[in-house]
Amino acid sequence: MSVPMVAAGRERKQPVFERYLNILGPLAMILALGVIMAIFEPRFFRITNIRIILQDAAIYMVLGMAMTLVITGAGIDLSIGSISALSAIVMAIFIKDLNVAVYVAMLLALIVGIGCGLVNGLIITLLRVPDLIATLSTDLVFRGLALVLAAGAVLQRFPEPIPAIGRGRILNDTIPIPIIIGVAVLLVGVFIYRYTPLGRYAIAIGGNRESAMLAGINVRRNKVYHYMLMGAAAALAGIMLTGRLNAVQATVAEGFALHTIAAVVVGGTVLFGGRGTMMGTLVGVILLSMVTNALVILRMAFFWQLVASGVIILASVAFYSYLERRGKGGSE
Amino acid sequence: MRGISKHFGGLQALKDVDLTLHAGELLAIVGDNGAGKSTLIKVLTGVYPPDGGSISLDGQPVRVPSRRASIDLGIDAVYQNLALVDYLTAPENVYLGNEIKRSVLGITVLDNRGMRKNAAEVLNERLGVALGNIDQMTFNLSGGQRQAVAIARALIQQKVRILILDEPTAALGPEEARRTLEVVQRLKGKDMGIIMISHQLEHVFELADRIMVMRRGRLAGVRTVAQTTRQEILGLIVGSISDYEADGGRSGASAPVAS
Repeated sequence: MSVPMVAAGRERKQPVFERYLNILGPLAMILALGVIMAIFEPRFFRITNIRIILQDAAIYMVLGMAMTLVITGAGIDLSIGSISALSAIVMAIFIKDLNVAVYVAMLLALIVGIGCGLVNGLIITLLRVPDLIATLSTDLVFRGLALVLAAGAVLQRFPEPIPAIGRGRILNDTIPIPIIIGVAVLLVGVFIYRYTPLGRYAIAIGGNRESAMLAGINVRRNKVYHYMLMGAAAALAGIMLTGRLNAVQATVAEGFALHTIAAVVVGGTVLFGGRGTMMGTLVGVILLSMVTNALVILRMAFFWQLVASGVIILASVAFYSYLERRGKGGSE
Repeated sequence: MRGISKHFGGLQALKDVDLTLHAGELLAIVGDNGAGKSTLIKVLTGVYPPDGGSISLDGQPVRVPSRRASIDLGIDAVYQNLALVDYLTAPENVYLGNEIKRSVLGITVLDNRGMRKNAAEVLNERLGVALGNIDQMTFNLSGGQRQAVAIARALIQQKVRILILDEPTAALGPEEARRTLEVVQRLKGKDMGIIMISHQLEHVFELADRIMVMRRGRLAGVRTVAQTTRQEILGLIVGSISDYEADGGRSGASAPVAS
């Protein structure tokens, strides 16, 4: 700001490259991991194993799409695991205890998720509670409600299409349905980001809230939309999880929020808002799932997964920090 | 605008300020820091609701409860900090909040290509500013280019009746300030009215038709450029000359709170 002419000589010819520069970091890590696994454990590359990796990633693709939008808009949602659990429990109770038709119950799950998101959004915009604190609190509230409703029960054996959504396959039993759902949701995310006011305004709100307001954008309403979309995604993730295990209890999905936020950040979306990519989130989600899987295949103890995930998050964020310093000529 | 007042808590930012703008005219507002210039235009553009006073446009009383309402009335502003989003491109900034949309298979989507084309046209032809690569992020642009993007943003509105420029040259080097003034010169004389806030009297005398001086949240005086001198304007700014307070006619009972 203080040196207005500074950037004039530094224009780049490939803005597309610049926009996606961020993905290179995690892509390089995926490649490196591939090389390591090729040396130590070629079984990693079997189709069945890759299918496992992607299937594991699918739920986080759904969550990551909405979380990318939330974080781009300078928000954060720590309550998504509880929203997933609460919507899944509500759905399960309606199916098992109240004999409601399965599609109606699934719709109810989505409504519960969107409702939770609406509550988050209203607390943040109307009560002006910071996003982090608001969703930290509602995380407890939603989890508590799920525990109350489920009363300790494990609900299981659901009618189709719930198991299909969680673990079914199509095309001669080759492609898992959850992967198709995950990729489809991410593509919707790409579309939202690039071609809708919702996505554009998220960048504006996260990048410069005052500018967004001065441009006539209704910041509060847009933030509420972000959280409602996040709630819907969390509910869908809850349905997918229920289907995968064909069972649900109130304590599921505990780690959803942090894992999703980690994947989004690894993918190059800036935690403080204003910049993000859906494709980056896809790469981030896959990278984290690959690491988990690789360590399992290498028979490392579970705890090493935590160490590895932590190191990867740090490495990517340090990489982005470096890009930022270089890109801004050391001014920031 | 008549009798506009605004206070923030105990601070009286504006007291009983009148402002008249004719079509095709450039009115400069000058005054010391804290004189209420920026607050006045934020009232006019719906950012701050006024505590008192009225606004009329073409003789019709209007209300400007929000930024959106001011844009719809054709009142637009280029704020001092430009209000651009760094990580959007120039066309995306130009159309922020007023995107062009088109329908694809019944779904309404942003017409990115159309916005890109129009924004390039406004920048190149109406403002005479070349950006090089139009798809680069706004933080890559120079100060003058950023200023042009901010002005273009106002110009793409359907009908801009009143364009407000808040310190358009303040953050720029001499070369870029010159170019920006040329841009303002180009805009002048079309049928919109321009209000320009500036600290630099030489720019004001060069471009303005009338000068309005504010001091401590009040109107200190209005002069036609042809019939005033720099000396007189300076006197109004520092308070050694005053149209109103000297005769006690409009000064009101209380002493200014701001100090």
